[in-house]
Amino acid sequence: MQAEVEQALARLFHAPMQVARMQLLPGGASKEAWLVDAAGADGQKELLLRRAGGGVIYVDTLSLAAEHQVLQAAFAAGVKVPRTYGYIADLAGREAFVMQRVAGESIGRRIVQRPELAAARGRLPLQMAEQLAKIHATPRARLPALPYHGDPGLTAIERMIGRLEEGLDASDEPHPALELGVAWLRRQAPAVAACADTVLVHGDFRIGNLMVDAQGLVAVLDWEFAHLGDPVEDLAWPLVRAWRFGVDHLRLGGIGEVEPYLDHYNRLTGRNITAAQLFYWEVAGNIRWAIGSLTQARRHLSGQERSVELAVLGRLACEMEYEVLSLIEREAYARPA
Amino acid sequence: MQDRPNASELAQAVLEFLQNEIAPQIQDARLKFRMLVASNGLGILARELAQGEALLQKEWLRLSALLQTSQAKPSGLAELRAEVLKLNRTLTARIRADRAPPDTYEAVKDLARDKLRIASPRYLERYRP
Repeated sequence: MQAEVEQALARLFHAPMQVARMQLLPGGASKEAWLVDAAGADGQKELLLRRAGGGVIYVDTLSLAAEHQVLQAAFAAGVKVPRTYGYIADLAGREAFVMQRVAGESIGRRIVQRPELAAARGRLPLQMAEQLAKIHATPRARLPALPYHGDPGLTAIERMIGRLEEGLDASDEPHPALELGVAWLRRQAPAVAACADTVLVHGDFRIGNLMVDAQGLVAVLDWEFAHLGDPVEDLAWPLVRAWRFGVDHLRLGGIGEVEPYLDHYNRLTGRNITAAQLFYWEVAGNIRWAIGSLTQARRHLSGQERSVELAVLGRLACEMEYEVLSLIEREAYARPA
Repeated sequence: MQDRPNASELAQAVLEFLQNEIAPQIQDARLKFRMLVASNGLGILARELAQGEALLQKEWLRLSALLQTSQAKPSGLAELRAEVLKLNRTLTARIRADRAPPDTYEAVKDLARDKLRIASPRYLERYRP
């Protein structure tokens, strides 16, 4: 494939390019990520090449063409994202795009635990709020056609509840704990103000998808779940307990407190998102990730992607079940009549 | 009847071999992580083989009482499993229809705790709201 990559890079950079190193990174079967070092007239470029995988496709993920456009729009809106160098419709038979390779740490467990990242953790809450404020201000006109994750005629909360119910039905196993969680969401919905704005939602904004160095946040990664929706969804997702990577007492991703993060976001955006709204979407986020784990295990069971990681993940959904039950217990509405 | 080690003890023996003798030899970080995940899977298996049937019996009793069914307890393990699945489906449908019996929350939380005892006992021990 090296010759095809060199040809494509030459077109994108308008100059001959020579690949010095090329390595397929371990990870997703649905999309490939290649580390590419290429030398051209103006020196060496450290690149990351994203390329479609061999036919295994997640539902609700963007095509690489759309993801590339979203990255461009976010970059133009001042979001910290890797710079993109162009889309390739056909790279050895599959679509791809090229972007800058950013240095730093993106493994969640290391970000929340490594001593040398302590100062970065101190900065992250406000930096995360700032990035979300910018993501949510990305002009819609610059974006490709993005999914709503449901009927645009419904409210964001109705769409979210509908998706969770569909997810539970598709797992084809009964999960009373998650059903109680969804019942709680249904009952509470009228009391929860929906944010009036429909914005670009990153869809997977959390520790583990953020590149971090000693100074703090370097880049927001993994845009394939981007869609249009309620900004509170993004704001609450990094609170989900699984994304605290063992540092559970720090509700914001195992790295900080929620209040300064929420206050900073509200100050920057002029929105008035409340702790109660955030809590509501935190419950929803935990249910979503429980269903996500069950779905991942089914990718293994169906033979779509055999993997011991995916298999074991199915058994860990009960961690999220327990968290959901504990969260709703704190509210007066926990017990169904 | 098979000789000892029994199924749970055998899973535990393989787990200890992987953890103590194989894991330290692995250099690659990604492979090391997957090794950890695999050991975790074997741990779940060992615990389920040891405690799974007793917890299933308990779940049947709890759900039968909650849903006020008056069927006799199934004798075989496969039948018990099928019956517990059915009870869970009934309960789930009732919660979805907003017709959950009183005390559903307490029962479900208790059963979620039992799932964690097999799947992730350390999560349960460390859990603070």
